[in-house]
Amino acid sequence: MAIASASIAPGGLRALLRSRRTRAGLLNAAPIVLYLLILFVYPIFGTLLLSLKGENGGLTLHWYADALSGSNFEVLLTTLRISGETAVLSLLIGFVLAYAVSRLRPVWAGLVMVIVVVPHFISALVRTYGWIILLGEHGLVNNLLVKLHLPGTPFSLLYNELGVIIGTTSVMLPYTVLVLYGVMRSVDRRLLAAAASMGAGRLVTFRRVYLPLVAPGMATAGLLSFILCLGYYLTPALMGGPKQTVVASLIDQQVMKQNQWNGAAALGVILLLLTFAGLLLLRLASRIGASARTRRAA
Amino acid sequence: MPELDVLPEPATVASGQCTGKAVSVVSLRKAYGDIVAVEDASMEIAAGEFVTFLGASGSGKTTTLMMIAGFVEPDSGTITVGGRDITRLAPQKRDLGFVFQQYLLFPHMTVGENIAFPLQLRGVPKDEIRRRVGETLEMVGLAGYARRKPRELSGGQQQRVALCRALVYRPPVILMDEPLGALDKKLRDQLQTEIKNIQVELGLTVIYVTHDQEEALVLSDRIAVMRDGRIDQFDTPRELFERPRTPFVADFLGAANFLPGRIEGHTGEQTLVRLNSGSLLPARPHPHTPGTAATAAVQPGRLDLCPPGDGFCAGTVRSVTYVGTLVRMQVETGGQVVRAELPANRAPATGDQVGLTADPADVTVFASDEDG
Amino acid sequence: MIGLRSTWTGRITLTIASALILVFLALPIVLIVVTSFGSDALGAFPPQSWTLGWYRAIFADGSKWPAALSLSALVATITTVFSVGLGITAATALTRSELPLRSAVYGLVLAPLLIPQVVIALGLFLIFEPASMLGSPLAIALGHTVLAAPIAVMILVATLRGIDERLEDAAASMGAGRATIARRITFPLAAPGIVAAAIFSFITSFDEFFIAQFLSTTNTTTLPVQVFNVLEFDADPTVTAVSALLIAVAVLALVLIGLARWLGAGKQSGLLPVEPAAGIAVSGGETV
Repeated sequence: MAIASASIAPGGLRALLRSRRTRAGLLNAAPIVLYLLILFVYPIFGTLLLSLKGENGGLTLHWYADALSGSNFEVLLTTLRISGETAVLSLLIGFVLAYAVSRLRPVWAGLVMVIVVVPHFISALVRTYGWIILLGEHGLVNNLLVKLHLPGTPFSLLYNELGVIIGTTSVMLPYTVLVLYGVMRSVDRRLLAAAASMGAGRLVTFRRVYLPLVAPGMATAGLLSFILCLGYYLTPALMGGPKQTVVASLIDQQVMKQNQWNGAAALGVILLLLTFAGLLLLRLASRIGASARTRRAA
Repeated sequence: MPELDVLPEPATVASGQCTGKAVSVVSLRKAYGDIVAVEDASMEIAAGEFVTFLGASGSGKTTTLMMIAGFVEPDSGTITVGGRDITRLAPQKRDLGFVFQQYLLFPHMTVGENIAFPLQLRGVPKDEIRRRVGETLEMVGLAGYARRKPRELSGGQQQRVALCRALVYRPPVILMDEPLGALDKKLRDQLQTEIKNIQVELGLTVIYVTHDQEEALVLSDRIAVMRDGRIDQFDTPRELFERPRTPFVADFLGAANFLPGRIEGHTGEQTLVRLNSGSLLPARPHPHTPGTAATAAVQPGRLDLCPPGDGFCAGTVRSVTYVGTLVRMQVETGGQVVRAELPANRAPATGDQVGLTADPADVTVFASDEDG
Repeated sequence: MIGLRSTWTGRITLTIASALILVFLALPIVLIVVTSFGSDALGAFPPQSWTLGWYRAIFADGSKWPAALSLSALVATITTVFSVGLGITAATALTRSELPLRSAVYGLVLAPLLIPQVVIALGLFLIFEPASMLGSPLAIALGHTVLAAPIAVMILVATLRGIDERLEDAAASMGAGRATIARRITFPLAAPGIVAAAIFSFITSFDEFFIAQFLSTTNTTTLPVQVFNVLEFDADPTVTAVSALLIAVAVLALVLIGLARWLGAGKQSGLLPVEPAAGIAVSGGETV
């Protein structure tokens, strides 16, 4: 835009030609921008407004006070707890798998990544159902444990937090593996050899060289699964008990069963703010990662 | 170094058999922000002429070509082809041919389909398309390759196909952007000959970009030596050699020896330069007044040996290198190394004391305030 | 590979751990497929005896699955058309022209992938409910396009970036106009990417739950919503076979994408952005 306006004097024609390319860009971008403004941005603003609207029309923070007190507040804490637990768990498990894959030869790595990626494209609902069958009182897992004569069997693995975490972790795991695998593949393994050549032991090399190199990726992976978990309620609803009610389920209940739109809107906005906070951290992590990369390159 | 005399002068192309058109470029300018890529580029290119833009990267040669092609919009100036102003036309309306360094064959089409593409655009009947595709492929020695996919061909073959694709619709002007840059030396030499032969045979106007001096000399009727976005000199290879207008041209094309000194005076057809070593060197006339600091430039191939004391300088032969029928030698004289080339049968031995002499017509004087 | 040699014990531990993790990922899926052929579709594993009865039951008279299946297919088809259309124009704008605020546009396009879907669903509910469009296939498709179009854009941006823009210049230098270049050069080269974008859009809609749940009515439910309702409220054993069908559709989609890429091999390099959200995260909000 600046260029076009600066060049009016000698080349009005040139400005026109330049803007032809810009015009094509605007014209092609318009459909999706309009679409998302109407069906994505506007509805979210609508939600925001509704969450601030009092029963007699004025502005109020009443719905937020409601959402942040009593059992609703418990639900919010549960959501954060489940998201946190899932993030940590899928980060740890994802780290192990991604590390193993990054050490494989490309052909094998490709095959393993297929096993990681394919489940991701299968409906999470279906995968959750698979877990329900697996973890039931007479499911495969308990049958196996009973046969091993472990004390306390059959365990109750369903309709409690353990079940929820198993389910959500399996849903989030592909994300963390993909992120971590990408980062680990880009690590220059000669750096590790260099560290070893200086006399660093295995553990020291891992802790002082490898971990710092992949740390930004770990932050990204963990935060990503945390964010995605926040609004996810399929698995908690199907595999959890009453104590595992999450904010998203609450929104669903308030809309579908109680017709309590304002309260649902307030919960939605809180979820949105939490997501923004997570995205901000994600941005920060990737920026730190980027500056670390430039430092390395320099 | 190629023999200059065999290079065709522009006049050797009979204008009657030309399919090419004349190109005229007037005061072209292009800047990207504060960086001026091309400044005041002007030239008249005759129909059927082979012109090369020669320069290092960043000299503006490619930008100039892209402006002629229409891929880069000039800030000011005009471009006409055959009298038609095309400065502001979209590339597809300019009716030019373009050969890219990266071949840019369409990967989803066969070789034949690639070459047929511009003909289809022009609504040429199917039979004729088939005939012309076959003819053109034959011309570059690729008859029978029409059904192959581009990725099955070698780099040299791909570039031949790209050449066919630009030739087949007989555009009046063909632009080539370092078309041989990605090929190895041997293939490059071979394709240079092919390109030159086709150009002469069809009477094409070709504008060619390269950073390779030898390639420019082999191919061109005239060369525009470019530096920092400007055309230093636009001349025949012979003129560039014999009458370089700037020290840069003298150095870039011929790796000239530069001998510092001062203008002593003028005697009729000659300018006398008092070199810093004290001896006097006669040169081609130069307008600057006596006393001006100046540099005398002379190509290594235009120096001759003489007994020490006879020539404009004397020194010790430091090294002698055989390059086929020539020897290259370095002569140290008064703290400066002068490079000379002689026929091998007249080579001195390392350590010999020799004198150097040059025909005044081969010595060019540049005043020291001339840039370079 | 230059690097540290690991110890044998380390390697074996790592291999066993990875194998267990892969089982963890694949087991629920394998289990459903196997169980769907068992006579006791809700229970014991491995099944005692085998049957195709559950698949027949899906399409039996009075079954509620066919309606849900056809609604899902309809919604996914509409979504695919919308998403590919929006995706092609948007990707063209992002890769082939000068676009003011390019990174803002790209940010807007990617945002739906990171915002909680339940929030998007709630927002859509709030506009479609007053318009009495709940249960309308069009409303659900419009909602699904909010999620599917960004994925289509990402795939098509990668596709268009993988096509050397100078091929289009080369065609222009021979006299091809904009429309001819699009038809003869860009479109054939982009075809595998367009196919991939279409399939991803379809599967995104076909599997989507949250938006469909909010925009469904008791009489019109998509397949995932129906599955959810069955799992939450009544134990209909055919749900296992339906789940297996959903798995089959997803696998088929992936095979088709692989096929399209294989047929178009040599034209593009690099992975398709199979994981959109992960892609954004890795690129760290990098602009186009």
